[in-house]
Amino acid sequence: MIDCHAHLHHHSQDDWERRDRNLIEVADRLGIDQLCCSMLTPRRPATPEGFRQCNAWVAEAINRFPDRVLGYSYVNPGHQAEAIDEIRRCVEDRGFIGVKLYNEHRCTDPVVVPIIELAIELRVPILHHAGHMHYVPPEQPLISDGGHLAELARRYPEAMLICAHVCGGGDWEWTIKSLRHAPNVMLDLSGSVIDDGVVEMAAEVLGVDRLLFGCDMSMTAGVGRIRAAHLDDEAKTRILGTNMRSLLQRRAS
Amino acid sequence: MIIDVNAYLGPFAFRHLRYQAADQLLTLMDSRGIDRAIVSSAAAITYRNPHPANTDLAAEVAHHPDRFIPFAVINPAYAGWADDLASCIDLGFRGLRLYPKWHNYELMSGLCLDLIDRATDRGMIISIPMRVEDPRQRSWLVDVPNVPLTELADLVAARPKARFHFVNGRGFTGSVLGQPENGLPANYRIEISLLNVHLNDEVETLIANLGPDRLLFGTGMPFQYPDPALAKIEVLAPDDVLKAQLLYQNAAEWLDPPIS
Repeated sequence: MIDCHAHLHHHSQDDWERRDRNLIEVADRLGIDQLCCSMLTPRRPATPEGFRQCNAWVAEAINRFPDRVLGYSYVNPGHQAEAIDEIRRCVEDRGFIGVKLYNEHRCTDPVVVPIIELAIELRVPILHHAGHMHYVPPEQPLISDGGHLAELARRYPEAMLICAHVCGGGDWEWTIKSLRHAPNVMLDLSGSVIDDGVVEMAAEVLGVDRLLFGCDMSMTAGVGRIRAAHLDDEAKTRILGTNMRSLLQRRAS
Repeated sequence: MIIDVNAYLGPFAFRHLRYQAADQLLTLMDSRGIDRAIVSSAAAITYRNPHPANTDLAAEVAHHPDRFIPFAVINPAYAGWADDLASCIDLGFRGLRLYPKWHNYELMSGLCLDLIDRATDRGMIISIPMRVEDPRQRSWLVDVPNVPLTELADLVAARPKARFHFVNGRGFTGSVLGQPENGLPANYRIEISLLNVHLNDEVETLIANLGPDRLLFGTGMPFQYPDPALAKIEVLAPDDVLKAQLLYQNAAEWLDPPIS
Protein backbone atom coordinates (compact mmCIF):
# COMPACT_ATOMS: atom_id res chain seq x y z
CA MET A 1 0.00 0.00 0.00
CA ILE A 2 1.28 3.46 -0.91
CA ASP A 3 -0.23 6.55 0.70
CA CYS A 4 0.03 9.12 -2.09
CA HIS A 5 -0.55 12.11 0.20
CA ALA A 6 1.08 12.44 3.61
CA HIS A 7 2.87 15.14 5.56
CA LEU A 8 5.80 15.25 7.90
CA HIS A 9 5.71 17.64 10.82
CA HIS A 10 7.50 20.96 10.70
CA HIS A 11 10.37 21.14 13.13
CA SER A 12 9.02 24.26 14.74
CA GLN A 13 6.60 21.91 16.52
CA ASP A 14 8.17 20.73 19.78
CA ASP A 15 7.00 17.16 19.33
CA TRP A 16 7.71 16.81 15.59
CA GLU A 17 9.91 13.77 16.08
CA ARG A 18 7.30 11.88 18.11
CA ARG A 19 4.58 12.81 15.61
CA ASP A 20 6.65 11.63 12.65
CA ARG A 21 7.36 8.36 14.42
CA ASN A 22 3.66 8.05 15.28
CA LEU A 23 2.79 8.48 11.61
CA ILE A 24 4.92 5.48 10.73
CA GLU A 25 3.51 3.43 13.61
CA VAL A 26 -0.09 4.08 12.55
CA ALA A 27 0.89 3.20 8.99
CA ASP A 28 2.30 -0.06 10.34
CA ARG A 29 -0.96 -0.89 12.10
CA LEU A 30 -2.99 -0.24 8.97
CA GLY A 31 -0.67 -2.04 6.58
CA ILE A 32 0.55 1.05 4.72
CA ASP A 33 3.99 0.30 3.29
CA GLN A 34 5.09 3.68 1.96
CA LEU A 35 4.04 7.27 2.49
CA CYS A 36 4.60 10.01 -0.10
CA CYS A 37 5.34 12.96 2.13
CA SER A 38 5.77 16.67 1.85
CA MET A 39 6.32 19.27 4.52
CA LEU A 40 4.66 22.66 4.31
CA THR A 41 5.85 25.88 5.87
CA PRO A 42 3.69 26.94 8.81
CA ARG A 43 3.24 30.35 7.23
CA ARG A 44 2.39 30.79 3.60
CA PRO A 45 3.08 32.01 0.99
CA ALA A 46 6.29 30.11 1.48
CA THR A 47 9.61 31.86 1.09
CA PRO A 48 12.51 30.13 -0.69
CA GLU A 49 14.26 29.74 2.65
CA GLY A 50 11.10 28.22 4.07
CA PHE A 51 10.50 25.62 1.38
CA ARG A 52 14.19 24.73 1.14
CA GLN A 53 14.23 24.06 4.88
CA CYS A 54 11.11 21.90 4.66
CA ASN A 55 12.54 19.84 1.82
CA ALA A 56 15.83 19.37 3.67
CA TRP A 57 13.90 17.98 6.64
CA VAL A 58 11.95 15.66 4.32
CA ALA A 59 15.28 14.42 2.98
CA GLU A 60 16.37 13.68 6.56
CA ALA A 61 13.17 11.77 7.16
CA ILE A 62 13.75 9.68 4.05
CA ASN A 63 17.05 8.61 5.63
CA ARG A 64 15.44 8.13 9.04
CA PHE A 65 12.68 5.90 7.65
CA PRO A 66 14.34 4.20 4.68
CA ASP A 67 11.95 2.80 2.11
CA ARG A 68 8.96 4.03 4.15
CA VAL A 69 9.02 7.75 3.37
CA LEU A 70 9.08 9.06 -0.19
CA GLY A 71 9.46 12.79 -0.73
CA TYR A 72 7.63 15.46 -2.66
CA SER A 73 9.48 18.70 -3.20
CA TYR A 74 7.28 21.53 -1.94
CA VAL A 75 7.84 24.92 -3.59
CA ASN A 76 6.08 28.23 -4.07
CA PRO A 77 5.97 28.86 -7.85
CA GLY A 78 5.95 32.61 -7.19
CA HIS A 79 9.68 32.35 -6.44
CA GLN A 80 10.26 30.88 -9.83
CA ALA A 81 14.04 30.57 -10.15
CA GLU A 82 14.44 29.29 -6.59
CA ALA A 83 11.57 26.83 -7.08
CA ILE A 84 13.11 25.41 -10.25
CA ASP A 85 16.50 25.01 -8.57
CA GLU A 86 14.91 23.37 -5.56
CA ILE A 87 12.90 20.85 -7.57
CA ARG A 88 16.00 19.87 -9.54
CA ARG A 89 18.03 19.44 -6.35
CA CYS A 90 15.29 17.38 -4.68
CA VAL A 91 14.48 15.12 -7.62
CA GLU A 92 17.90 14.70 -9.19
CA ASP A 93 20.12 14.68 -6.08
CA ARG A 94 17.86 13.56 -3.26
CA GLY A 95 15.67 11.07 -5.10
CA PHE A 96 12.37 12.85 -4.41
CA ILE A 97 9.43 11.39 -6.29
CA GLY A 98 7.55 14.49 -7.31
CA VAL A 99 6.42 18.04 -6.68
CA LYS A 100 3.89 19.35 -4.20
CA LEU A 101 2.12 22.61 -4.97
CA TYR A 102 -0.24 24.30 -2.54
CA ASN A 103 -2.47 27.32 -2.95
CA GLU A 104 -0.01 30.18 -3.37
CA HIS A 105 -0.99 30.35 -7.05
CA ARG A 106 -3.83 28.83 -9.01
CA CYS A 107 -2.51 25.95 -11.09
CA THR A 108 -3.42 27.70 -14.36
CA ASP A 109 -1.47 30.85 -13.43
CA PRO A 110 1.34 31.44 -15.99
CA VAL A 111 3.82 31.61 -13.12
CA VAL A 112 3.31 27.87 -12.62
CA VAL A 113 4.20 27.00 -16.22
CA PRO A 114 7.98 26.49 -15.70
CA ILE A 115 7.23 24.12 -12.79
CA ILE A 116 4.91 22.07 -15.01
CA GLU A 117 7.45 21.96 -17.80
CA LEU A 118 10.23 20.89 -15.43
CA ALA A 119 8.06 18.11 -13.98
CA ILE A 120 7.34 16.94 -17.53
CA GLU A 121 11.07 16.94 -18.26
CA LEU A 122 11.86 14.99 -15.09
CA ARG A 123 8.80 12.80 -15.63
CA VAL A 124 7.59 13.20 -12.05
CA PRO A 125 4.04 13.87 -10.84
CA ILE A 126 2.73 17.07 -9.34
CA LEU A 127 0.44 16.67 -6.35
CA HIS A 128 -1.70 19.80 -6.38
CA HIS A 129 -3.77 20.98 -3.42
CA ALA A 130 -7.35 21.33 -4.61
CA GLY A 131 -10.92 21.77 -3.53
CA HIS A 132 -14.26 22.94 -4.87
CA MET A 133 -16.25 24.86 -2.30
CA HIS A 134 -19.48 26.63 -3.20
CA TYR A 135 -18.45 29.20 -0.61
CA VAL A 136 -14.91 30.18 -1.57
CA PRO A 137 -12.74 29.96 1.54
CA PRO A 138 -11.43 33.47 2.27
CA GLU A 139 -8.14 32.08 3.52
CA GLN A 140 -7.55 30.32 0.18
CA PRO A 141 -8.61 32.73 -2.56
CA LEU A 142 -6.34 31.04 -5.12
CA ILE A 143 -7.21 27.45 -4.37
CA SER A 144 -7.39 25.31 -7.52
CA ASP A 145 -10.20 22.86 -8.15
CA GLY A 146 -10.73 19.89 -10.42
CA GLY A 147 -11.81 22.18 -13.23
CA HIS A 148 -8.59 24.15 -13.08
CA LEU A 149 -6.56 20.96 -13.05
CA ALA A 150 -8.53 19.64 -16.03
CA GLU A 151 -7.74 22.85 -17.90
CA LEU A 152 -4.05 22.57 -17.03
CA ALA A 153 -4.08 18.94 -18.15
CA ARG A 154 -5.60 19.94 -21.49
CA ARG A 155 -2.76 22.43 -22.04
CA TYR A 156 -0.08 19.93 -20.93
CA PRO A 157 -1.21 16.41 -21.80
CA GLU A 158 2.27 15.05 -20.96
CA ALA A 159 2.06 16.31 -17.37
CA MET A 160 1.28 13.85 -14.59
CA LEU A 161 -1.10 15.69 -12.31
CA ILE A 162 -2.65 14.52 -9.08
CA CYS A 163 -5.76 16.33 -7.86
CA ALA A 164 -5.37 16.31 -4.09
CA HIS A 165 -7.73 15.03 -1.43
CA VAL A 166 -11.12 14.74 -3.07
CA CYS A 167 -12.41 13.79 0.39
CA GLY A 168 -11.11 16.96 1.96
CA GLY A 169 -11.84 19.40 -0.82
CA GLY A 170 -15.48 20.30 -0.72
CA ASP A 171 -18.03 19.04 -3.24
CA TRP A 172 -16.51 15.72 -4.26
CA GLU A 173 -19.22 14.96 -6.81
CA TRP A 174 -18.34 18.20 -8.62
CA THR A 175 -14.64 17.37 -8.53
CA ILE A 176 -15.09 13.87 -9.93
CA LYS A 177 -17.37 15.07 -12.74
CA SER A 178 -15.01 17.92 -13.62
CA LEU A 179 -12.12 15.51 -14.16
CA ARG A 180 -13.89 13.02 -16.43
CA HIS A 181 -12.26 14.27 -19.64
CA ALA A 182 -8.81 14.93 -18.22
CA PRO A 183 -7.08 11.54 -18.51
CA ASN A 184 -3.71 12.74 -17.26
CA VAL A 185 -5.14 13.86 -13.92
CA MET A 186 -5.10 11.22 -11.23
CA LEU A 187 -7.47 11.59 -8.30
CA ASP A 188 -6.10 11.36 -4.75
CA LEU A 189 -8.85 9.91 -2.55
CA SER A 190 -7.48 11.26 0.73
CA GLY A 191 -9.10 13.52 3.29
CA SER A 192 -11.08 13.42 6.50
CA VAL A 193 -14.52 13.25 4.87
CA ILE A 194 -15.82 9.67 4.92
CA ASP A 195 -18.92 10.12 2.77
CA ASP A 196 -20.41 6.94 1.42
CA GLY A 197 -20.08 6.34 -2.30
CA VAL A 198 -17.16 8.59 -3.20
CA VAL A 199 -14.82 5.77 -4.21
CA GLU A 200 -17.44 3.98 -6.29
CA MET A 201 -18.45 7.17 -8.10
CA ALA A 202 -14.83 8.01 -8.82
CA ALA A 203 -14.23 4.50 -10.16
CA GLU A 204 -17.30 4.67 -12.37
CA VAL A 205 -16.62 8.13 -13.80
CA LEU A 206 -12.81 8.11 -14.01
CA GLY A 207 -11.92 4.42 -13.98
CA VAL A 208 -9.96 2.68 -11.24
CA ASP A 209 -6.63 3.27 -12.99
CA ARG A 210 -6.91 7.00 -12.26
CA LEU A 211 -7.49 6.61 -8.52
CA LEU A 212 -4.83 6.81 -5.83
CA PHE A 213 -5.12 5.74 -2.22
CA GLY A 214 -4.22 8.48 0.22
CA CYS A 215 -4.88 9.60 3.76
CA ASP A 216 -3.59 13.18 4.15
CA MET A 217 -3.11 12.20 7.80
CA SER A 218 -6.69 10.92 8.23
CA MET A 219 -5.45 7.35 8.39
CA THR A 220 -8.53 5.37 9.38
CA ALA A 221 -10.64 7.40 6.96
CA GLY A 222 -8.25 6.68 4.12
CA VAL A 223 -8.05 2.97 4.74
CA GLY A 224 -11.69 2.63 5.75
CA ARG A 225 -13.13 4.10 2.57
CA ILE A 226 -11.17 1.68 0.39
CA ARG A 227 -12.19 -1.27 2.55
CA ALA A 228 -15.81 -0.11 2.29
CA ALA A 229 -15.94 0.42 -1.46
CA HIS A 230 -17.92 -1.99 -3.61
CA LEU A 231 -15.00 -2.82 -5.89
CA ASP A 232 -13.30 -6.11 -6.54
CA ASP A 233 -9.94 -6.98 -5.02
CA GLU A 234 -8.02 -6.28 -8.22
CA ALA A 235 -9.45 -2.78 -8.43
CA LYS A 236 -8.60 -2.13 -4.79
CA THR A 237 -5.07 -3.39 -5.33
CA ARG A 238 -4.60 -0.92 -8.15
CA ILE A 239 -5.94 1.95 -6.08
CA LEU A 240 -3.95 1.00 -2.99
CA GLY A 241 -0.59 0.87 -4.68
CA THR A 242 -0.27 -0.33 -8.27
CA ASN A 243 -1.39 2.94 -9.82
CA MET A 244 0.99 5.07 -7.76
CA ARG A 245 3.84 2.67 -8.40
CA SER A 246 3.21 2.92 -12.14
CA LEU A 247 3.22 6.70 -11.91
CA LEU A 248 6.54 6.69 -10.07
CA GLN A 249 8.13 4.30 -12.55
CA ARG A 250 7.68 6.81 -15.34
CA ARG A 251 10.38 9.12 -13.99
CA ALA A 252 13.54 9.79 -15.95
CA SER A 253 16.44 7.70 -14.67
CA MET B 1 -22.33 -7.42 19.11
CA ILE B 2 -22.12 -3.90 17.68
CA ILE B 3 -24.51 -1.01 18.32
CA ASP B 4 -24.29 2.00 16.01
CA VAL B 5 -25.62 5.12 17.74
CA ASN B 6 -25.56 7.32 14.64
CA ALA B 7 -27.50 6.12 11.60
CA TYR B 8 -30.24 7.51 9.36
CA LEU B 9 -33.11 6.47 7.12
CA GLY B 10 -34.76 8.38 4.31
CA PRO B 11 -33.50 10.82 1.68
CA PHE B 12 -31.33 13.88 2.25
CA ALA B 13 -31.97 17.12 0.39
CA PHE B 14 -28.49 17.74 -0.96
CA ARG B 15 -27.03 14.36 -1.82
CA HIS B 16 -28.15 10.93 -2.91
CA LEU B 17 -27.82 8.33 -0.16
CA ARG B 18 -27.39 4.78 -1.39
CA TYR B 19 -28.77 2.99 1.68
CA GLN B 20 -31.66 5.22 2.62
CA ALA B 21 -34.35 2.50 2.85
CA ALA B 22 -34.57 0.17 5.85
CA ASP B 23 -33.84 -3.00 3.87
CA GLN B 24 -30.81 -1.33 2.25
CA LEU B 25 -29.43 -0.15 5.56
CA LEU B 26 -29.98 -3.59 7.08
CA THR B 27 -28.00 -5.15 4.27
CA LEU B 28 -25.15 -2.75 4.94
CA MET B 29 -25.34 -3.37 8.69
CA ASP B 30 -25.28 -7.13 8.15
CA SER B 31 -22.24 -6.87 5.90
CA ARG B 32 -20.34 -5.11 8.71
CA GLY B 33 -21.62 -7.13 11.66
CA ILE B 34 -23.62 -4.23 13.08
CA ASP B 35 -26.51 -5.65 15.06
CA ARG B 36 -28.51 -2.58 16.03
CA ALA B 37 -28.62 1.05 15.04
CA ILE B 38 -30.12 4.20 16.44
CA VAL B 39 -31.81 5.79 13.43
CA SER B 40 -33.42 9.14 12.74
CA SER B 41 -34.86 10.66 9.59
CA ALA B 42 -32.47 12.34 7.16
CA ALA B 43 -35.41 14.01 5.40
CA ALA B 44 -36.51 15.70 8.62
CA ILE B 45 -33.35 17.79 8.62
CA THR B 46 -34.68 20.02 5.83
CA TYR B 47 -38.45 19.57 6.14
CA ARG B 48 -40.10 22.71 7.46
CA ASN B 49 -42.51 20.47 9.38
CA PRO B 50 -40.38 17.49 10.39
CA HIS B 51 -43.12 15.35 11.88
CA PRO B 52 -44.24 13.50 8.72
CA ALA B 53 -40.65 12.29 8.41
CA ASN B 54 -40.90 10.84 11.91
CA THR B 55 -44.04 8.92 11.03
CA ASP B 56 -42.38 7.67 7.82
CA LEU B 57 -39.44 6.50 9.90
CA ALA B 58 -41.72 4.76 12.41
CA ALA B 59 -43.35 2.83 9.57
CA GLU B 60 -39.96 1.80 8.19
CA VAL B 61 -38.56 0.55 11.47
CA ALA B 62 -41.77 -1.12 12.68
CA HIS B 63 -40.88 -4.31 10.83
CA HIS B 64 -37.45 -4.49 12.46
CA PRO B 65 -37.82 -3.62 16.15
CA ASP B 66 -34.91 -5.87 17.00
CA ARG B 67 -32.54 -3.93 14.72
CA PHE B 68 -33.54 -0.25 14.76
CA ILE B 69 -33.89 2.14 17.69
CA PRO B 70 -35.79 5.19 16.41
CA PHE B 71 -35.03 8.75 17.47
CA ALA B 72 -37.48 11.56 16.64
CA VAL B 73 -36.50 14.84 15.00
CA ILE B 74 -38.44 17.60 16.73
CA ASN B 75 -38.19 21.33 16.03
CA PRO B 76 -39.27 23.22 19.16
CA ALA B 77 -39.58 26.43 17.16
CA TYR B 78 -42.29 24.93 14.94
CA ALA B 79 -45.98 24.86 15.77
CA GLY B 80 -47.31 21.73 17.42
CA TRP B 81 -43.99 20.30 18.59
CA ALA B 82 -45.40 19.14 21.91
CA ASP B 83 -48.09 17.17 20.10
CA ASP B 84 -45.42 15.74 17.79
CA LEU B 85 -43.33 14.68 20.78
CA ALA B 86 -46.29 12.94 22.37
CA SER B 87 -47.05 11.20 19.09
CA CYS B 88 -43.44 10.04 18.76
CA ILE B 89 -43.44 8.65 22.29
CA ASP B 90 -46.60 6.70 21.42
CA LEU B 91 -44.85 5.43 18.30
CA GLY B 92 -41.99 4.03 20.40
CA PHE B 93 -39.25 6.59 19.76
CA ARG B 94 -36.46 6.25 22.33
CA GLY B 95 -34.72 9.56 21.84
CA LEU B 96 -34.69 12.98 20.23
CA ARG B 97 -32.53 14.40 17.47
CA LEU B 98 -32.05 18.18 17.61
CA TYR B 99 -30.79 20.35 14.73
CA PRO B 100 -30.65 23.84 16.29
CA LYS B 101 -28.71 25.44 13.44
CA TRP B 102 -30.70 23.84 10.61
CA HIS B 103 -34.00 24.57 12.35
CA ASN B 104 -32.96 28.01 13.53
CA TYR B 105 -33.41 28.04 17.29
CA GLU B 106 -31.15 28.35 20.31
CA LEU B 107 -30.43 25.30 22.42
CA MET B 108 -30.80 27.41 25.54
CA SER B 109 -34.11 28.94 24.44
CA GLY B 110 -37.10 28.37 26.66
CA LEU B 111 -38.90 26.24 24.08
CA CYS B 112 -35.91 23.97 23.52
CA LEU B 113 -35.32 23.53 27.23
CA ASP B 114 -39.02 22.73 27.64
CA LEU B 115 -38.72 20.06 24.91
CA ILE B 116 -35.61 18.60 26.57
CA ASP B 117 -37.32 18.51 29.97
CA ARG B 118 -40.39 16.74 28.62
CA ALA B 119 -38.26 14.22 26.73
CA THR B 120 -36.06 13.65 29.78
CA ASP B 121 -39.14 12.98 31.91
CA ARG B 122 -40.07 10.26 29.43
CA GLY B 123 -36.63 8.66 29.54
CA MET B 124 -35.51 9.83 26.10
CA ILE B 125 -31.89 10.50 25.12
CA ILE B 126 -31.20 13.91 23.57
CA SER B 127 -28.99 13.46 20.51
CA ILE B 128 -27.34 16.48 18.89
CA PRO B 129 -25.24 16.31 15.72
CA MET B 130 -22.55 18.98 15.59
CA ARG B 131 -22.96 18.96 11.84
CA VAL B 132 -24.75 17.10 9.06
CA GLU B 133 -22.11 17.36 6.32
CA ASP B 134 -18.57 18.65 6.25
CA PRO B 135 -18.89 22.44 5.99
CA ARG B 136 -16.51 22.53 3.01
CA GLN B 137 -19.05 20.74 0.82
CA ARG B 138 -22.22 22.56 1.81
CA SER B 139 -24.68 23.53 -0.92
CA TRP B 140 -24.84 27.03 -2.30
CA LEU B 141 -28.40 27.11 -0.91
CA VAL B 142 -27.49 26.82 2.74
CA ASP B 143 -24.89 28.23 5.07
CA VAL B 144 -25.55 26.32 8.26
CA PRO B 145 -22.77 26.52 10.85
CA ASN B 146 -21.66 23.67 13.08
CA VAL B 147 -23.09 23.60 16.60
CA PRO B 148 -20.35 25.14 18.77
CA LEU B 149 -19.06 22.92 21.55
CA THR B 150 -19.47 25.80 23.98
CA GLU B 151 -23.23 25.71 23.39
CA LEU B 152 -23.30 22.00 24.13
CA ALA B 153 -21.30 22.54 27.32
CA ASP B 154 -23.73 25.21 28.48
CA LEU B 155 -26.63 22.86 27.78
CA VAL B 156 -25.29 19.86 29.68
CA ALA B 157 -24.60 22.12 32.66
CA ALA B 158 -28.11 23.57 32.48
CA ARG B 159 -29.88 20.20 32.33
CA PRO B 160 -27.97 17.76 34.57
CA LYS B 161 -30.81 15.23 34.62
CA ALA B 162 -30.96 14.94 30.84
CA ARG B 163 -28.84 12.38 28.96
CA PHE B 164 -27.06 13.86 25.96
CA HIS B 165 -25.44 12.10 23.08
CA PHE B 166 -23.28 14.17 20.68
CA VAL B 167 -22.62 12.85 17.19
CA ASN B 168 -20.66 13.93 14.09
CA GLY B 169 -18.35 15.98 16.27
CA ARG B 170 -14.66 16.56 16.71
CA GLY B 171 -12.41 18.90 18.63
CA PHE B 172 -13.70 17.82 22.03
CA THR B 173 -10.22 17.68 23.51
CA GLY B 174 -9.93 21.41 22.97
CA SER B 175 -13.24 22.03 24.71
CA VAL B 176 -14.31 21.90 28.33
CA LEU B 177 -16.44 18.90 27.31
CA GLY B 178 -13.29 16.83 26.85
CA GLN B 179 -11.40 18.00 29.92
CA PRO B 180 -10.99 15.91 33.09
CA GLU B 181 -12.81 17.10 36.20
CA ASN B 182 -14.45 19.79 34.13
CA GLY B 183 -17.22 20.61 36.57
CA LEU B 184 -19.86 19.33 34.14
CA PRO B 185 -22.28 16.56 35.01
CA ALA B 186 -21.38 13.20 33.46
CA ASN B 187 -24.63 13.34 31.51
CA TYR B 188 -23.21 13.22 28.00
CA ARG B 189 -21.65 10.68 25.69
CA ILE B 190 -19.58 11.32 22.55
CA GLU B 191 -19.85 9.34 19.32
CA ILE B 192 -16.57 8.53 17.56
CA SER B 193 -17.22 8.60 13.79
CA LEU B 194 -15.35 11.86 13.17
CA LEU B 195 -12.87 11.74 16.02
CA ASN B 196 -9.17 11.23 15.35
CA VAL B 197 -7.25 8.29 16.67
CA HIS B 198 -3.51 8.21 17.25
CA LEU B 199 -2.30 11.08 15.10
CA ASN B 200 -4.14 13.67 17.14
CA ASP B 201 -4.95 11.23 19.93
CA GLU B 202 -8.48 12.56 20.34
CA VAL B 203 -10.14 9.28 21.25
CA GLU B 204 -7.26 8.23 23.49
CA THR B 205 -7.31 11.59 25.25
CA LEU B 206 -11.06 11.46 25.78
CA ILE B 207 -10.81 7.97 27.25
CA ALA B 208 -8.09 9.19 29.61
CA ASN B 209 -9.92 12.38 30.54
CA LEU B 210 -13.53 11.22 30.76
CA GLY B 211 -13.27 7.47 31.18
CA PRO B 212 -13.80 4.61 28.74
CA ASP B 213 -17.56 4.53 29.28
CA ARG B 214 -18.17 7.98 27.79
CA LEU B 215 -17.54 7.14 24.13
CA LEU B 216 -20.02 5.45 21.79
CA PHE B 217 -19.50 3.67 18.50
CA GLY B 218 -21.21 5.34 15.56
CA THR B 219 -20.79 5.39 11.82
CA GLY B 220 -23.03 8.08 10.34
CA MET B 221 -24.46 5.55 7.87
CA PRO B 222 -25.65 5.98 5.19
CA PHE B 223 -24.13 9.46 4.87
CA GLN B 224 -20.77 7.93 5.70
CA TYR B 225 -18.98 4.65 5.14
CA PRO B 226 -19.06 2.46 8.27
CA ASP B 227 -15.55 1.09 7.81
CA PRO B 228 -13.56 4.10 9.04
CA ALA B 229 -15.25 3.85 12.44
CA LEU B 230 -14.55 0.13 12.53
CA ALA B 231 -10.92 0.79 11.58
CA LYS B 232 -10.68 3.21 14.50
CA ILE B 233 -11.67 0.50 16.93
CA GLU B 234 -9.25 -1.89 15.24
CA VAL B 235 -6.22 0.34 15.69
CA LEU B 236 -7.29 1.72 19.05
CA ALA B 237 -8.46 -1.23 21.07
CA PRO B 238 -6.42 -4.37 20.75
CA ASP B 239 -7.76 -5.55 24.09
CA ASP B 240 -11.19 -7.12 24.03
CA VAL B 241 -12.47 -5.35 27.13
CA LEU B 242 -12.13 -1.84 25.74
CA LYS B 243 -13.28 -2.99 22.31
CA ALA B 244 -16.49 -4.42 23.76
CA GLN B 245 -17.12 -1.26 25.75
CA LEU B 246 -16.80 0.92 22.68
CA LEU B 247 -18.61 -1.31 20.23
CA TYR B 248 -21.72 -1.98 22.28
CA GLN B 249 -21.58 -2.02 26.08
CA ASN B 250 -21.51 1.73 26.54
CA ALA B 251 -24.44 2.24 24.18
CA ALA B 252 -26.42 -0.66 25.65
CA GLU B 253 -26.05 0.74 29.14
CA TRP B 254 -26.75 4.30 28.06
CA LEU B 255 -30.13 3.45 26.62
CA ASP B 256 -32.99 3.32 29.09
CA PRO B 257 -34.05 0.62 29.57
CA PRO B 258 -30.66 -0.87 28.73
CA ILE B 259 -30.37 -3.22 25.79
CA SER B 260 -29.47 -6.74 26.79
